Amino acid sequence: MNQTKSSNGLFFTWLGLLGISILIGLFAAFKLLTEGHHLFNANDVLIWSLPLGVYIYLALTSSGLTLLASVPLVFGIKRYEPFAKRLVFLAIGALLGGFVSIGLELGNVFHMVYILLSPNLSSPIWWMGAIYSLELVVLLIKFQRIHAGDWDSRLSKWLGKVGFLCALIAPLMIGSVFGLTESRVTYFGPVMSIYCLFMAILSGSALCLLYNLIQAQVTGNVISGDKDALFKEFTRIFTGALGAVIILTLIKFFIEGSTVIPEFLNYHKYAQAFGSIAGLNTEVILGLFLPFILISIPGLRHNNSTRILTCALVLLGTLAMHMEILLAGQSRPVGPKAEQFPDVISYYPSSWEWMVFLLAVAVMLLLFSLGERFLKLESTPA
Amino acid sequence: MPRYAMVIDLQRCVGCSACSIACRNENNVPDGIYWSNKLTETSGTFPNVRYHYIPTLCNHCENAPCVRGCPTQAMHKLDNGITMHNPKKCIGCKYCEFNCPYGVIYFNWTYPHKEWKNKEKVLEGTTSPAEEVAKTSGKTLPYYNPEREDTLAGIRPKGVVEKCTFCDHLVKRGKLPRCVEACPADARVFGDMNDPNSKVRQLLGKFRPFRLREQIGTEPHVFYIRDFNPANYQPSKGGI
Repeated sequence: MNQTKSSNGLFFTWLGLLGISILIGLFAAFKLLTEGHHLFNANDVLIWSLPLGVYIYLALTSSGLTLLASVPLVFGIKRYEPFAKRLVFLAIGALLGGFVSIGLELGNVFHMVYILLSPNLSSPIWWMGAIYSLELVVLLIKFQRIHAGDWDSRLSKWLGKVGFLCALIAPLMIGSVFGLTESRVTYFGPVMSIYCLFMAILSGSALCLLYNLIQAQVTGNVISGDKDALFKEFTRIFTGALGAVIILTLIKFFIEGSTVIPEFLNYHKYAQAFGSIAGLNTEVILGLFLPFILISIPGLRHNNSTRILTCALVLLGTLAMHMEILLAGQSRPVGPKAEQFPDVISYYPSSWEWMVFLLAVAVMLLLFSLGERFLKLESTPA
Repeated sequence: MPRYAMVIDLQRCVGCSACSIACRNENNVPDGIYWSNKLTETSGTFPNVRYHYIPTLCNHCENAPCVRGCPTQAMHKLDNGITMHNPKKCIGCKYCEFNCPYGVIYFNWTYPHKEWKNKEKVLEGTTSPAEEVAKTSGKTLPYYNPEREDTLAGIRPKGVVEKCTFCDHLVKRGKLPRCVEACPADARVFGDMNDPNSKVRQLLGKFRPFRLREQIGTEPHVFYIRDFNPANYQPSKGGI
């Protein structure tokens, strides 16, 4: 009785904290709508800043979660089913958080109707928006079907397949938004799409593991038997994704370090926004290499504290890596803008940008918390 | 249908920036935004030093990355080749600005011409400049040009991008872009690329033109010819 009361108290305190964060974020949203985006520390050289980085991060994480959910829902691997409903819900929450962030990044969100009324099919941004919107709708209907106990009807299976395709293509579209720019070769062209897909799987699997481990700890559930075996499998997927991103990152470093293309030579002047350790970017050392080493040590691999630490490091590291790439590619003025702006632009998010970040994350966490409490996220097919 | 282009003769250009000032007045361009701008570069070391000056504007590219990337077709091509923007469709994603290889698109980060709306009094008991202007001219902006409203919002709102339109509102009436008219050295020549007798076609045939960042395939329609260089040197074969 007392335990339930104390757990309720903690839950409502948590909701209160999220409520305050959302109110702060809504105040920032009001200021942005009424005063404009000069409140951001962005300018006509460094055009996209923290809110866009947060959108990329959350949208990719959502895609990663949807891809993981597809393992049982599309490919029919039954032993993963205990995770499926929660994964779909986490994907919805992460994507809605991302949409909050991109909505407040846009200069005129009320003109969004023209995305439908006047679509430009040659625009990667249009495709990115269209596919993520479709993904959200499909995930919502899929979740509703699962919640109603319909796991295997034709409609439910079809929704799963469409969701999987969306989650596969959307990260490629995010990558092409950057990769298709003629003026910014440092975004690595089409390779950026592949990179985004692997980053999606990495951050999705990290959030999946971290969330489930924390959920188990908070609710006092013991991870044993089949569930423990599943955690081990998710850890393997996570480690594989981590290894793939490390390889891509190393290739990127080698190319950047050896090329003499002027844009890359200039790029080095801003390439370490978060500092460096032994010449390598801090976020790569702490967010990729260190977690990979920790999770590769046999004695630590299946220890829950190690898993929580590595997932948390990876989630922070991938956000920092997205920001690093985003900022470094915009750090120098293009053409005559060099007349107005310094040679290299320095950046630190403004308090308004942090408030947008807070709003996006708080919306996501609020959804996670309410879903966990009221939507029986562990249910499986009858 | 004509295909408009501009030739800038760098030998005639004196770098006076009259084009930029005229553009600003014609198009009610706010502070911090440059539809007409310049690239400057100093090469060499004293006393062997040169100063280079290249006027810039939207290149109205044939394969415009801004048009290709705009999700709502707010940035679009007119039949006469002008790259035009519709602020009513613009969602302010800034992808055109991010995608432009020439750095000629700007975003309205705040309310444009904010300084002319400031009602703060200069001294207690006096009026503010904004009030005086409104009282005298009935406008917020003392140099506001209402003709700009023919084809585009006279002043573009906050949250959308803006850029040079080759003064499409003047071209529509058979007039030259304002920067061309204002150039005291006749360094800017405007005309129809599809007309073999037009001045631009004659100049492009007579001189070897270059365009900015030609290698990326955007097919800019602002061409540069000649260069101004008063330097001279005695014939020499150099030495070891």
